[in-house]
Amino acid sequence: MLIHWTLGLAASLPFLSALVLGVRVLSGGSRPSERFAFSVVEGGLSLSLLATTAVALQFGGVLGPAVGGEVSFGNWLQLGSYFIPAVALVDTAAVALALLGAVLTLLVARFSRTYLHKDPGFHRFFVLLALFASGVQFVAFAGALDVMFAGWELIGISSAMFIGFFHERDEPVRSSLRTFATYRLCDAGFLMAMVAVHELLGTTRLAELPRVAGLPSWEVELIAGLLLLAAMGKSAMLPFSGWLPRAMEGPTPSSALFYGGISIHMGLFLLLRVSPLLAAAPATEVVGVIVGLGTALYASAVARTHTDAKGALAHATLAQVGLILAEICLGFTTLATVHLTCHALLRVFQFLRAPNTIHDAHRIGHGAIAHAAATEAPTTGVLWRYGVSLHRLRVEELLDRLVVPVLALARRLDRLDRGLRRAFDRGAR
Amino acid sequence: MAGHASGAASHDPIVRALARAIGVLPDQGPIGVFIHHNTLHAYQHLPFHEAVQQGAALIGAEPYLGIQQFRELHESERIESVDIDRALSEYLGARDAEVGPLGITLHAAWRTFLLESVELTDAPGLRYQIQHGLSPIAKDLRRWRAAEARVAQGPMPVDSTVAPPRRHRDVLHQLAARDVDEIVHPELVRLAAGFLDQGQAAVVLPGRSRGFLSAVASLYAAGVRGPRDAAATAADFAALVRDPQPARTVIRQTLDALGVDHEATEDFLIATALALPGWAGMFSRLERQPAERVGDVVPRLEEFLAVRLLFERRAVETVCAEAELPTDWTRLRALVPATQAVDPVDATLVLFALARAAGYSAEAISELTDAELDACWALRSSATALRCRQVFQEAYEARYRRQVLDAVAALRPRALRRRPAARPSAQVMFCIDEREESIRRAIEEIDPSIETYGVAGFFGVAIDFRGLYDDVPAAHCPVVVVPEHEVHEAPVSSELDWHTVRSRWRAAWNTMERSIGRGSRTLAGGAGLSFVLGPLAGVAAAGRVVAPRSTLMTRDRLLARFLPRPTTRLSALREEWSASASQRGKAVGFSLQESADRVIGVLRNIGLTSGFAPFVIVLGHGSTSLNNPHESAHDCGACGGRRGGANARLFAELANRADVRARIRDAGIVIPDDTVFLGGLHDTSDDRVQLYDLGAIPATHDARFEAVCVVLERARRDSAQERARRFEDAPLGITPREALAHVEARAAHLGQPRPEYGHCTNAIAIVGRRRLSRGLHLDRRPFLISYDPTQDRGDVLLERILAAVGPVGAGINLEYYFSSVDNRRFGCGTKLPHNVTGLLGVMNGHQGDLQTGLPLQMVELHEPMRLLLIVEATPASLLAVASRQAEVAQLVTNAWVQLISLDPETGAMQRFHAGAFEPVDVTAIALPEVERSVDWHGATRAFVPPALVRAALQDAPAETER
Repeated sequence: MLIHWTLGLAASLPFLSALVLGVRVLSGGSRPSERFAFSVVEGGLSLSLLATTAVALQFGGVLGPAVGGEVSFGNWLQLGSYFIPAVALVDTAAVALALLGAVLTLLVARFSRTYLHKDPGFHRFFVLLALFASGVQFVAFAGALDVMFAGWELIGISSAMFIGFFHERDEPVRSSLRTFATYRLCDAGFLMAMVAVHELLGTTRLAELPRVAGLPSWEVELIAGLLLLAAMGKSAMLPFSGWLPRAMEGPTPSSALFYGGISIHMGLFLLLRVSPLLAAAPATEVVGVIVGLGTALYASAVARTHTDAKGALAHATLAQVGLILAEICLGFTTLATVHLTCHALLRVFQFLRAPNTIHDAHRIGHGAIAHAAATEAPTTGVLWRYGVSLHRLRVEELLDRLVVPVLALARRLDRLDRGLRRAFDRGAR
Repeated sequence: MAGHASGAASHDPIVRALARAIGVLPDQGPIGVFIHHNTLHAYQHLPFHEAVQQGAALIGAEPYLGIQQFRELHESERIESVDIDRALSEYLGARDAEVGPLGITLHAAWRTFLLESVELTDAPGLRYQIQHGLSPIAKDLRRWRAAEARVAQGPMPVDSTVAPPRRHRDVLHQLAARDVDEIVHPELVRLAAGFLDQGQAAVVLPGRSRGFLSAVASLYAAGVRGPRDAAATAADFAALVRDPQPARTVIRQTLDALGVDHEATEDFLIATALALPGWAGMFSRLERQPAERVGDVVPRLEEFLAVRLLFERRAVETVCAEAELPTDWTRLRALVPATQAVDPVDATLVLFALARAAGYSAEAISELTDAELDACWALRSSATALRCRQVFQEAYEARYRRQVLDAVAALRPRALRRRPAARPSAQVMFCIDEREESIRRAIEEIDPSIETYGVAGFFGVAIDFRGLYDDVPAAHCPVVVVPEHEVHEAPVSSELDWHTVRSRWRAAWNTMERSIGRGSRTLAGGAGLSFVLGPLAGVAAAGRVVAPRSTLMTRDRLLARFLPRPTTRLSALREEWSASASQRGKAVGFSLQESADRVIGVLRNIGLTSGFAPFVIVLGHGSTSLNNPHESAHDCGACGGRRGGANARLFAELANRADVRARIRDAGIVIPDDTVFLGGLHDTSDDRVQLYDLGAIPATHDARFEAVCVVLERARRDSAQERARRFEDAPLGITPREALAHVEARAAHLGQPRPEYGHCTNAIAIVGRRRLSRGLHLDRRPFLISYDPTQDRGDVLLERILAAVGPVGAGINLEYYFSSVDNRRFGCGTKLPHNVTGLLGVMNGHQGDLQTGLPLQMVELHEPMRLLLIVEATPASLLAVASRQAEVAQLVTNAWVQLISLDPETGAMQRFHAGAFEPVDVTAIALPEVERSVDWHGATRAFVPPALVRAALQDAPAETER
């Protein structure tokens, strides 16, 4: 079947090229040339784009009768009664995200060929980029939460690795770790929701999600809440916004692709996919609207005070992401899809041009710099607002404070564990 | 520097520290105008090696390439053994042949250290390598074991001193407590950036016109919380608002609270300033350079340090309390030992290497006396890794110096044999910039009857220039000069109407673009613009990434077709009777006499006083690139980090005026009536050559002009081809036409961190007639400054040239030197994660230090060597000039440049070394010869040694009258 082939190729080709390049690099011997590395990944990404386009054409009915809805690939994994159905779901949102992801990744790959030229991490960069591309296709076309989770993790890991790309310095590594920890925390929500859905509905297929309407409302709210948590982490919603500015440690093109383009919008896409579930969970929707609007206000205030090009842009992006979250939770899913797509395109371009800031300032002039706040005696309100935005509500400290007791508990358990082991060892002797 | 000097002698250690800090902090202004300077300018009063070692130690940087890098350069024969031996003998002087430990000479012992055994950084690694046969030592295992055994029995080397801790953080770091800077820096960087911002953020630090300390204090007094681990700072600031104190008092009080006594204050405070050198340096720089500020912000280094210390004090208290350590500096400092025991493997390695050099067997090693061992250790502590690298550096430079001087000597007979044209077909003046060497050589190869000249690229006209669309004039001249004249570009009268319309449209477009930029970062604007511009942005991004060159070219062509830039003229000449002055009180345009003086000055400088060609082309230079915060660093240094096109255009216009020429004739320089001066701009990034005011060409010159244009066109392609071999992403063997397209694409590409290599690989400056270097392939490495000693009476011109070129050339060369020996501390690291902040500079990530110096991508090919300054003048003339020009004398006597005197008559060369000129011992070599430059460099990406290019040395054909 053409649809099977094209879907399969769209998701697996980038992964395959990452595999080929990765194995070639790790297999020892001389390092493959940049040309080889780029060609392998560009080839994978181009063919993947081609396959995605073919899926889109089939979905649109251009190649024969329109194909849509679930496409089954059998079972991915079966363990007793638990099985993961390898199923894809082809609909407008899926096609939109898949195309967006494929096009932008390919664009950034082209950009990075010269940008990363001669960098010692050139090969690593392209392996990660290909992994990411594969992850996006998995998430986009996934017809079940399990499948989506696989792609979700690929995106998460590549994102963290890009932030820590310059690992010879401390700061990127620290930021990468922090991002990764935030992702893990929120991914736990995804995982728990997945298990719960499987437990309650007997399947995690997205097409079956409307059946949650029959469940007790607290169960639906719980699942929806857990998924919201997952989305909030990936999309840097409050109170998890602290990692986003740190993510600017990575190379510019990856910042553009991840935090201007795709990755930051991934949480929103997840919620779009489970919108039937969300619709059945009004309380979670209210929380989502509050979180979204709160983040939007927070991020646009922060964007106004930030003096660095990438940081300001990242927060401007975050403000829109917050807004789109609110749109989704209010039920405007079509608006949200269009908003998301257009927004990603705009931000990727802006991010890619971020180093041009000084050139632009010379070319078009600084204009009237909004120095309204530079008056002699600012009011307490102005000062307070500025300070709070400048220090980003101290969200990171807030999160730290939440984590401290957890860490203390972990340390206590660790001590207990070691004590027990010693006792066992003594007993064994 | 006056304040600096007086501060240094003050009784108050804080004043002393501030004065010294100014010298060691980076002195780089906002990056939009990049000016190259000696990174360690404050040490220029010391001899080079002493200075770099001291300066680097204070900053915590490396003063030379690493010893391992030097050894690799030796293995690849870039450094030759003979040069190492000479450099060593020069360094050891009389002690060279002295007998050292184990009966070998000091020379031999040092040589062993250089090539084998110093700077052991990884003892376990070495042990592992020996065990597994990976180290060459494994082949000599018996001797190694014997050395190991002997070291174990005997006296050990004295413990090596470790760098003393300079502030709390250093001690806490060693004692494995938390890093105080991690608490202080994020807070401080955001505040400093919000205070200094020059137009990025929509809102800046409120009340910043009252100064940093006051603005920050009122921020926290308004109820903003401090960072959790220095929370008490907020209360400190609130107290400061109730009872304002000057910054120095705050510093003193805080230092007292930290237990830093009067004596320790100076060093402590300097270390504090150096903890975040980029930001501290920017405060210091803008404090001293009001012209570089924007708005009413008055940054002061002492206020920055006061704020920093307030945070730091509370952070130190928190961390010390956690770690149960004292906060008192005197007590805390005493907790770390001042010395470190020497690793036995390190000692073994020393003994082993010396013993092998001395030919001692394993048995002989075991029988060494304690006294002999001690002698080895004594040598070890004098021949430190740093001194070994110093010797290596000298050898590294010597090898290249020999290569160049031998080539210059070998060229001389050939150059003297060449008969230049009685009347050249054209004369082309370039900037002295080493990037122009290739295009000059190309022009001379293509048409041997063209002569080229090099002169500082502002062409003697120091102006504040306001271009057609500039709001304010900007200085187009070396930074040390303050222009007395303003020159404006204005549309010609016939195009005034079009200009008015176009300006209005242009302003509207710019306003729109600005509003989009700002609006897209707001909540509502971002949403609206996403829908409207998102799809467009996608298309634009695709075009700019997939086909950058065609996209931009199409855009430019459309603009030129439908919205052409109006024809303009310069306000070049000021009528004697008009008192025309600009708003800033400067004369607009030059008077007749001033014009003549400027033109005469340049012509005399370069020795072009007769034999004028039909065309004298004056080419300034600049550089275009995108997504490159360091773009300005590629522009013309002689124009203060701007483009030299306006200066070239102005110079040509002045020189073309009949009334100016009459005055020039009065001074004895006769410019024939049929000589036309043309100004232009050479873009060193995309190799475009643009000529101005072609209307000045009379019809009689049409055919000749066409011929000149053909030469320029071919030359820029050849130049592009020569540059392309250095770019690994352009294929070797690229044709000139393809190369041109390649460099054009680089300049237009958003994803191109290396639009050009800038001054990278610069190494030489030749002051003298072109015949010293014409026909010599010098691989784009020399600054070429035209100077004719036969026309210089009393060394007037020489003095003027050296006073300008010495510091500028050395500044560029030394900035490249430092940024390449330690790219992370002296330079700004790789460009890839750079984040433009406040329009001031770049940082890594979102709240790091401002990164100063040059990025890796600009220096990766550079060979860090001091400038080899070859001057066609006698030692007597040079000494006379040095006695009058203090800065030149300082650079030369302290060996920040290597000065060579080349006798104008005989061509004999002498090198200034250790306070005197000594003859250079030139080896007669057969210079490799090629017909065209490309035959020499076309097949390799590496540096090429000098070669003779025959095409450029041909006798010029006799000119046929047309």
